[in-house]
Amino acid sequence: MDTLNQLLQGFATAGTPINLLWALLGCTIGTAVGVLPGIGPATAVAMLLPITLKVEPTASMIFFAGIYYGAMYGGSTTSILLNTPGESGSMVTAMEGNKMAKSGRAGAALATAAIGSFVAGTIATVLVTFFAPVVAKYAIKLGPPEYFMLMLLAFTTVSAVLGKSTLRGLTALGIGLAMGLIGIDQISGQARYTGGVPELMDGLEVVLIAVGLFAVGEALYNVLYEGRVVESQNRMSKVHMTGAEWRRSWPAWLRATFIGFPFGTIPAGGSEIPTFLSYATEKKLSKNPKEFGTVGAIEGVAGPEAANNAAITATLIPLLTLGIPTSNTTAILLGAFQNYGIQPGPQLFDTNAALVWALIASLYIGNVMLLILNLPLVGLWVKLLKLPKAPLYAGILIFATVGVYGMRQSAFDLVLLYAIGLLGVVMRRFDFPTAPVVVGMILGPLAEAQMRNALSIGEGRWTVFLQRPGSLFLLVVVLAVLVLPRLIKRFRPPMEPDAMTRV
Amino acid sequence: MKRPELAIGIGTLLLGGLIAAGATQISSDAGYAGVGPNFLPLVVGALLVVCAIGLLREVFAGGFRDMEEPSGAEHGDWKGFVWVSVAILANAALITTIGFILSCTLCFVLAVRGFRWSQGRVDWSAPTWIVDALIGFAIAAPVFWMFTQLLAINLPGLTSTGWL
Repeated sequence: MDTLNQLLQGFATAGTPINLLWALLGCTIGTAVGVLPGIGPATAVAMLLPITLKVEPTASMIFFAGIYYGAMYGGSTTSILLNTPGESGSMVTAMEGNKMAKSGRAGAALATAAIGSFVAGTIATVLVTFFAPVVAKYAIKLGPPEYFMLMLLAFTTVSAVLGKSTLRGLTALGIGLAMGLIGIDQISGQARYTGGVPELMDGLEVVLIAVGLFAVGEALYNVLYEGRVVESQNRMSKVHMTGAEWRRSWPAWLRATFIGFPFGTIPAGGSEIPTFLSYATEKKLSKNPKEFGTVGAIEGVAGPEAANNAAITATLIPLLTLGIPTSNTTAILLGAFQNYGIQPGPQLFDTNAALVWALIASLYIGNVMLLILNLPLVGLWVKLLKLPKAPLYAGILIFATVGVYGMRQSAFDLVLLYAIGLLGVVMRRFDFPTAPVVVGMILGPLAEAQMRNALSIGEGRWTVFLQRPGSLFLLVVVLAVLVLPRLIKRFRPPMEPDAMTRV
Repeated sequence: MKRPELAIGIGTLLLGGLIAAGATQISSDAGYAGVGPNFLPLVVGALLVVCAIGLLREVFAGGFRDMEEPSGAEHGDWKGFVWVSVAILANAALITTIGFILSCTLCFVLAVRGFRWSQGRVDWSAPTWIVDALIGFAIAAPVFWMFTQLLAINLPGLTSTGWL
């Protein structure tokens, strides 16, 4: 009952006209950035981080959550109608969605994507409502050694497990950690790697790294390599599902929700794995397997889209209860909390209960808003796809400037922005993952502090990590995550080549 | 052997070495923890050096492994790239003197040239320059006003009125 009471209070806060307006604004901007190529939720939230200087925390967190959510809804529109996915979680949706659109069923694909996102997002929000306080209650018992191990687990999964090459993932993590080192050491107050440049004393801003890697990097990549890429757009049809399509969609939505949610909660974020899993499940269970990959099967859109939204919602659990981000966007949301001097973690549910519950309540509200924004108004967003590329990317550069300059008022940061953009181009061209950079940069300093605190508790002995059952268990998990996939690969050579390469 | 990949390997090696070398300049005063502020820098330096060795080994064995085919053209369009680069750097150089709106408008006009160039559709006639400048202004000005007037966040202006 306590949870319901607090949730009701959250609704009271989130339901004030001004907060509803922030939610609506966030959902609208989110859908737009989801639809537009070249800019995703991480970039959009990063560019708008300067508002944390003036807007109060509850309103801006509601706003950012709206963007985060909205981008997922918008991304499916792009991936169904264009032949390039708007954001990475929509990659799988694109496979069947495109086929459906090509055979004149774009409307049904859009409908099942939006309604599936709504169903999965709402169920996942209910689960967050009831599970997050429980997780927080247990998390409060964790000490620095366990925290350090959890963060180590997040580093390992983000860099070594997701992505194609462990080596390139770890290199990206190293670069992110190195960026996080710059500035004043939290514990001893010493300056590190500032080279006497006063601008570097406060460290690098998240905005700078995220906007540089994603927005400027994307713009430079586009001008270098993608100028001649011709995009074809599929024809729209009426947004409507037949009775048969409903019957085929809803079991897929529900199954996918329960596939997606657990993946979001463990510090192994990313929605790629659950969306692929859901796709594979639907393909196996479908009564119309011949439609997959030919005319397009509606389950192949319904499942992955729902799994994506469930996983995205669930990433809020590690973020809010442990302070551990598992994706680019949640890493930047953590940065937003830090700008307010709030450190997400188990205490958050006590110290900032009003903020947390308003945020959770706003997710329910946001899902309803997004359903309305994306079903009856989908025609509006489709028009965004017609924007010419040149002014679109040039416009993104203006927004990048506002985000970075607005944060610290430093022209020096704009030069750094260009340098990081170049890094982004190289990373994209040579298939280095970017999430480890952002997560490493944000989480690196926190992990370092936890490690040194843990060692202080152990009076300088490393065995402190082995003596506590919790941290020993997590250490074993980290090792398992690193070793098991390799062992499986070695002992079960080419297992279903088709399933491994494409799924 | 692929030269860009070789350069990436060497670059990673240099970065790792630089960080490890920098770590020796940081105090190792550890207090109760047994490890001081120089510990993580050493670990990160070592991680990058190890990764660099791994990357270089792959390069000498024929190139990075398990690569996703990069999207787009095989060779870069460097002229378009220069336009966009100049746009961003000019913006950095001019923003404090000519103000946010004008500087961003200039950035927009230059960058649009670059993107059109890479699409092979560049048009040098005067009207397109003017139209682009107007579009750039129409994006930059409202953004500036929203920040300075509505959110009261400082952005540099040509005048101190908060309108230009």
